[in-house]
Amino acid sequence: MASRYISIRHLRFLLYEVFDALALRRFPAFEAYDQAAFDMTLDAAQQIGDTYLFPYYREMDRQKAVYQDGEVRVHHSIKTAMQVFGEGGWISATDTLEAGGQQMPLTLFNAALMIFYAANSNTPPHAFLTQGAARLLRSFASEELQSRFVPHMYSGRWQGTMALTEPQAGSSLSDILTTATPHPDGYYLIKGQKIFISGGDHNAVDNVVHLMLARIEGAPPGAKGISLFVVPKYRQEGDTMVFNDVTTAGIYGKMGQKGYVAAHLQIGEHDDCRGWLVGAPHKGLAYMFQMMNEARIGTGLMASATASGAYYAALEYARQRPQGRHPSNKDLSLPQVPIIEHADVRRMLLFQKSIIEGSFALLLQCSLYADLEKHAQGAEQRKAHLLLELLTPVAKSFPSEMSNLAVSAGMQCLGGAGYCDDFPLEQYYRDIRVNSIYEGTTTIHGIDLLGRKVMMENGEAAALFAQEISEAVQQAMPYPALQPLALALGNAAGQLQQATLHLFQLAAKEPAEVFLADATLYLEYFGYVAIAWQWLLMATAAQKALNEGAQHRDFYEGKILTAQYFMEYELPKTQGLHQRLTSDARITTRIQSPHFD
Amino acid sequence: MKLLVCISKVPDTNAKIAFTNNQTEYDTAGVQYIMNPYDEWYALVRALELKEALGGSVTLVHVGTADSETIIRKGLAIGADDAVRIDADPKSALFVAQQIAELARNEHYDIIFLGKETIDYNGAEIGAMVAEYLDLPYISYANHLEVNGTVASVTREIEGGAEEVEVNLPFVVSAAKGMAEQRIPNMRGIMMAKTKPLKVLPPVPIEDKAVVVMYQTPPAKSSVKLVAPENMDELVRLLHEEAKVI
Repeated sequence: MASRYISIRHLRFLLYEVFDALALRRFPAFEAYDQAAFDMTLDAAQQIGDTYLFPYYREMDRQKAVYQDGEVRVHHSIKTAMQVFGEGGWISATDTLEAGGQQMPLTLFNAALMIFYAANSNTPPHAFLTQGAARLLRSFASEELQSRFVPHMYSGRWQGTMALTEPQAGSSLSDILTTATPHPDGYYLIKGQKIFISGGDHNAVDNVVHLMLARIEGAPPGAKGISLFVVPKYRQEGDTMVFNDVTTAGIYGKMGQKGYVAAHLQIGEHDDCRGWLVGAPHKGLAYMFQMMNEARIGTGLMASATASGAYYAALEYARQRPQGRHPSNKDLSLPQVPIIEHADVRRMLLFQKSIIEGSFALLLQCSLYADLEKHAQGAEQRKAHLLLELLTPVAKSFPSEMSNLAVSAGMQCLGGAGYCDDFPLEQYYRDIRVNSIYEGTTTIHGIDLLGRKVMMENGEAAALFAQEISEAVQQAMPYPALQPLALALGNAAGQLQQATLHLFQLAAKEPAEVFLADATLYLEYFGYVAIAWQWLLMATAAQKALNEGAQHRDFYEGKILTAQYFMEYELPKTQGLHQRLTSDARITTRIQSPHFD
Repeated sequence: MKLLVCISKVPDTNAKIAFTNNQTEYDTAGVQYIMNPYDEWYALVRALELKEALGGSVTLVHVGTADSETIIRKGLAIGADDAVRIDADPKSALFVAQQIAELARNEHYDIIFLGKETIDYNGAEIGAMVAEYLDLPYISYANHLEVNGTVASVTREIEGGAEEVEVNLPFVVSAAKGMAEQRIPNMRGIMMAKTKPLKVLPPVPIEDKAVVVMYQTPPAKSSVKLVAPENMDELVRLLHEEAKVI
């Protein structure tokens, strides 16, 4: 097992030197968050990772969750971790002091989340899915419902879930069939099925609280008739907890994340499942989007953090494993060199580093926008809101897709050993794959980006993005070493604007199927530009530090070299995407089912 | 119970240490610091457990400059009630011990805790010196401690086994692995730490009796030699003549 899974130094670099996250103290809610508070939070997160998460990562893959005798049994460490996250105040951390939280900036919280997910991508989702569900109740549920559920969820004793998907309605939530029948006592009788419910049932908690979408009898069809309910596995009646007719039909045999269950739930088999309406009727999908948008950033975090664990395993191996000699000196009497001496291994490591650190940067950038959206005023608030809306599908999908490739490159560094379970790469490879499926597949996010976000508010969000890039380019230009990087980003961003314009011209004359056919590729193009933007910001911060005589020159030089790598090796891939997106060849819309035989 | 826990600042275990100023001090540039693990994991946590069981207070004392306050705040975040920083460069064990003793002399602590050693110089000297200055019993390398009234039962690590001792309060104890389980500060503790009292006192003037002449790093490890499996004679020769282990 590798000894490292993340670079805390890199997180500090991002927080303090790239994003100046300590400036958030200007908002009264964050006044207490000085650098010592930031450092102690990261330090505590790392201690939790080292003690309660990383040591069990491999073990929980081998001792996977099982469904036996009507009970879902998960690895024992999950129960301990839920207590640690609950009692440690991590599940409630971003809530207000009045609600028992610590008003932690999301920027800091998500940096800590990167540490947790890098240490173990199976355990923390239990706690932070619960956090999302509790925050949804805090935002939209009555005081009475909040007081009944949220304290138990914040304590880590009760699991929270998102219960959306049904057998006939996966990405198409408009088609859900679960029903909610009003009862005179104020609750609803819920009946239906939910599938792929992460954390949907397990023995590490005393209860499971589902935030569930259902249709009230007589509701309008489609998305406008969906309501949100809180549906616990056990409901309280007087002093006792009573089974609420939410039955686990089974758990899925997943490819990875074998410690984190996905359950198939039967709701109301005996017509005794009670649910309580959250907020107003028929507003459920809109409410749920709060949790889904947070979960999308969380999925990007989980993907890039999982890839971070794989990267450090690959790096450690590459530094230790002697194999072969330099091409310029193959004298067999010389000892073999560590494989990191080979340029192509370094290329693969650079690919991983550029994707992971670039993704971390984009995700913290979005987290910063989320803090500003909530606490800033006027134009600053609006700008943050629009940029967060625009970048959420990118920050979810590009890290998820590219981290698959990063872990694959990590496995490649180990050769045959990487394919075997003596090393963790094969587990990382299986565990990471789900992230480009969780919380909306990449296709869904491509359509969201191109079909909605790019032109939202008459293109204001896209214009703000272009402005952010332009400012990053201007800040980099005074440094001669960074000018080629700045020019590369500026050119790619200009090309992206041209491709966007071309696609919107297409939208005016062709059906939506044609306009959106390559939305996934458009998202990929956008993602390369967004990550290049983040690398230019990091390179500028690193160059400033070097010019000011900073210690740890290797660290900063490594940032600049990785930025150069991204601009030279990865960003040019947008040229192929540009050619495709501006071509008139309509292949995917012309080909029909019989042609695939 | 009135408990004092002495905490030190040490380089992170991953820090690369280089020496400077004619090898008489280590180069602090770029070094990340942590609280000495024996102080944090065992001494402080056992003191907190005693306070939680028996009541009282836990005070931290640290000899160091203002840049040590992150370390002190971590101790407060873990649960100490207040802290004292003696505002001085901790230049030697004798100096630090005398500063702690001067503070403790008038405060009448029931138990003074330290880690069994610091992980930088591994001197394990300060506890004994503090006890001597205060004329108190000193129990070193303790891995178990219970208090019953005015008597403490302490188990010490010794070569090949354990030694159980009883000691009347007050006394000084150095804590080893086993004394307690590490505590990770919770978020409430982290945010509360800033509001807890931290008193800064000037050092008492003390003349040091020893100076560091030079630090030396261990000799560099020689490169690995690969010996073919069929060449056992060569392996024996290398182990005998070069490694000198047989």
